Order: sequence, then C-alpha cells, then structure tokens
Amino acid sequence: MSITSDILRGHTEAIILSSLLEQDSYGYQINKDIMKKTNNTYELKEATLYSAFRRLEQAGCIRTYWGDETVGARRRYYAITDEGRMAYQGYKQEWQEVKKIIDKLLK
Amino acid sequence: MNEKIKAYFNQIFADAPRTRMALDLKQEMMQSAIDKYNDMVADGHAEEDAYQNVIASIGDVTELFPEVAEKNLLALPKEDRKKKALLTASAVGLYIFALAVFLFFGFTAEFMDYGDGAMTSIGFVLAIVICIPPTVMLVYAANMYPAYSKTKNQDMVERYKEVRYLDNKEKAVLKSVRSLIWSITVLLYFGITLLTWRAEVTWILFLIAACVQKIVTLVYELKYEEKHI
Repeated sequence: MSITSDILRGHTEAIILSSLLEQDSYGYQINKDIMKKTNNTYELKEATLYSAFRRLEQAGCIRTYWGDETVGARRRYYAITDEGRMAYQGYKQEWQEVKKIIDKLLK
Repeated sequence: MNEKIKAYFNQIFADAPRTRMALDLKQEMMQSAIDKYNDMVADGHAEEDAYQNVIASIGDVTELFPEVAEKNLLALPKEDRKKKALLTASAVGLYIFALAVFLFFGFTAEFMDYGDGAMTSIGFVLAIVICIPPTVMLVYAANMYPAYSKTKNQDMVERYKEVRYLDNKEKAVLKSVRSLIWSITVLLYFGITLLTWRAEVTWILFLIAACVQKIVTLVYELKYEEKHI
C-alpha cells in the first residue's frame, strides 16, 4: 500500500490536470472525483493537493478564479491552461513509457 | 464543530508566512475541510468520527509554507494595488497635460509673433513644474511593497522580515524625496538662467543639489539607526 501511495503521490500534478481537463473545479471536488474513480480506496492529503496546485499555478499550467456562489463560502476554482494541456500530454507519454519499462522488468 | 475545525486550522497555520497567498491557502483548505465534514455527517457518520477523519486527511501543511512565502506584486493588498494603479494613471495624465501646456505656449508664441521666445520659455518652465508631481508619484509607486503585519509572538526571522519591509517603505519615501530634489533643481536652473541670463554661474545649483541630496540621505540613515538599533 505504501508503494502505491508513493507512486500516486508522484503523479499528483498529472492527476489534477487530468481532472481539470473535464471541467473547472475546486480542491475538494477534485479530491472527491479521485475517490470516486478509485472506488474510495485513494484520496490525496489536502496538503499534497494544495501544494501541487501552487506548483502548477506557478508553472502556468492552471489558473484560478473565485467562484460566485451566492450562498455559503466562496470557493477558489482552478482551470487548465493551454500550457497545462501540453504538460498533461507530456506526463501521459512519460507514464506510458514507464509502464512499459516496469512491465518488462517485473516479468 | 465548524468552530473546532477553524480552531485547528488557526493552530497549524500559526507559523505560516504573513502573506496574502498564505491567508488564501488557509481559507481554501479550511473550506475544503468543512465541506468534507458536512458531507460525511450528511452520509451518517458520527460528528466526532467525521472530525477525526477530516483532520487526519489534512496532512503536513508546513511543506506548503515556502510556496506561499515569497512576496510578489499579487501579495500587495488590494487597496495598495488600487492606489498604485491610480498613482500611475494620474502621473501619465499629468505628463500629457505638461506636454499640452508646452505646445500651447509654443504655438501661442508663434501666432502672436513674440520675437524673443519668452512665451516658449515660460511654457517650458511651466511644463517642467507640472512634471514634478507625476515623477514623484511614479517613483513612489514603483517602490511600494506590501506592509508586514505585526505578529503576536515574533521570532528572529519574523522580526527580521518586518524590519526589511519597513526598510523598503522608508526607501520608497527617500527615493521620492530624491527625485523631487532633482526636479526642483532643474526647474530652478532654467528659471534663474532665463531670468538672469547668467548661465556661467547658475550651474552651481547642481552642485548644491548634490550636497542637499547627501544631507537628506544622511538624515535618513541616522533616523533609521535610531529606530532599529
């Protein structure tokens, strides 16, 4: 289990970008999506998630804006940029290669 | 229970940098935790279980602090950003006004056929006078830094940061004063030269200005030492 979460944590950025490809979202919503897609087996620690947000934002892969909720607290939304889309394609290609190598090595 | 979650966040963010980014991050994570707590309670979990689960899923926030520590333009409080924009806009407006005044006097001189160019000279001096305030405004705006808020228990690092920020603010004022000195000198030089036609003497004004600037800097440094040592 610890190897799994280590590997997953190493791909936090890619997982976030993938989630934002579908639609703009906010932190908790993205984490919920991840839980749903993994049948409640995996969830990012908030600190990990928000630290990845800051890195992505600084790299220009995502941009943020404040939502206009009329009731309750205002939420900060994240949206993917063109650079983000390119970075995501890069991540994905890299992952395909890593997968091939590990599959070969762990026969 | 929301209060308990807020109290927990206040505690783990106690050592966070005092920046707008850090504050936003705290608000954002806190809202996320509250959302999660509400969802879990709505799903039928006991309040205490939900609270423990939410707290456990936060993780180590101290790893986030370096990323929200740096000061940048965005870290300027909103009012200051507005002030900065206003200063810059007014400055540009005043420069254009100065140019208009200069051109007005120049053309008037031509049409009215004043032979000695006195009108043009007056226009030139007036234009320079009008240029002084926008110059001071621009220098000040370019040197604005976010103010550093006081913290309850300051450690060495916090104290150092605060001194640095105060330092920046004082430097902004000093730079404005300097540009003011030089603008006034140029103005006086042209004014007195035009009135007396003694250019061979009036250049001394620039030497005087250099002395005045040194004195101002010295006074500032003395004041600064008094304040911080």
